[in-house]
Amino acid sequence: MMEEEIQSEEQKTISDFWPSIAVSGGIFGVIIFALGLVFGYMQINAEPTGAILSPLMLSGVVICLVVALAGGVAIWHYTKEETPYVKLGQGALIGFLTGAVLVVVSTVLNELWHFIDPDYTQKMMEATIANIEAMDMPAEQKQMMIDSTAETMRAQQSIFQQILYGIPMYGILNLITGMIAVKIFGKKKEQETF
Amino acid sequence: MKHQPLYLFVFIALGFMLLFSMGEILWGSSQGKHWTEMLFLGICHNLPDRTFSADGYFMAVNTRCFGIFAGLWFGWGMIPWLKSITDQKKWPIWVLLFAVVIQIIDYTGNLFHIWENTNHSRALLGMALGIAIPTALADQFQIRKTKKTDR
Repeated sequence: MMEEEIQSEEQKTISDFWPSIAVSGGIFGVIIFALGLVFGYMQINAEPTGAILSPLMLSGVVICLVVALAGGVAIWHYTKEETPYVKLGQGALIGFLTGAVLVVVSTVLNELWHFIDPDYTQKMMEATIANIEAMDMPAEQKQMMIDSTAETMRAQQSIFQQILYGIPMYGILNLITGMIAVKIFGKKKEQETF
Repeated sequence: MKHQPLYLFVFIALGFMLLFSMGEILWGSSQGKHWTEMLFLGICHNLPDRTFSADGYFMAVNTRCFGIFAGLWFGWGMIPWLKSITDQKKWPIWVLLFAVVIQIIDYTGNLFHIWENTNHSRALLGMALGIAIPTALADQFQIRKTKKTDR
């Protein structure tokens, strides 16, 4: 039984990886979309206190941490559902593609949300700028932050740019966590005898 | 060494990530949002006061992220020499876990004004996490020799 599993590991193709990639990428795509919305509306409804770490800034940290788990979860799913024998390269590929899928899923959901709340981006930009204006810092630095925020939010309105820039970064992040997950969840056959 | 193409691919990719993270300092300024900042938009908040700068030019990532990328690239380059200390050992995974937890503790402590971290402390802690990741993966790239058993 074990030998059969080890042999079949050698014959695995990318189509064998897709269920785990789609499950993890899909779930994490929805999670980061939902987290983005929660933090976004927290920002919109918050009083402009001038706090440097606003809900929007916090969302970046939280989303980055959550996103990094996707590759690991995909490998965990693969070792449970397909085979526990997974190579490092397979883990890297599954991780990268999981990152790509979650970018596409979250971007599409973000775009769809604009049909439900067309003013979402505008409201968030206004709330963020109001918070920056309340900050206790030199006017020049304040203006730089306002310009940077406005440019960032405008850039996020392009679905093409979100996918173009998101896939390599989230892909590499999850490629690494995919490899770590291979070490944690994967079983190894003996490599060399003497 | 096992998985050489994968090792080289990741080493080169991490090298490019590190170069891109230098932002305007290396790639020059541009009108509007810099393309390197766009690249890291989803994974880094890039607040100007938490970002290294030189002569008014800013990096594309904040200091902690820059530390992570620098540590990752440096640590990845060290993988061929890490065999003797990481092979079949559990401590690299615990060190990685500790490095993740310490980022969360540092971030939370600063957030609730328990202490105040600086750009340099954030970069150093980030670098520790960056180095911990390849250290945890180093044994996966080594050929493990096992004794042949007679049946």
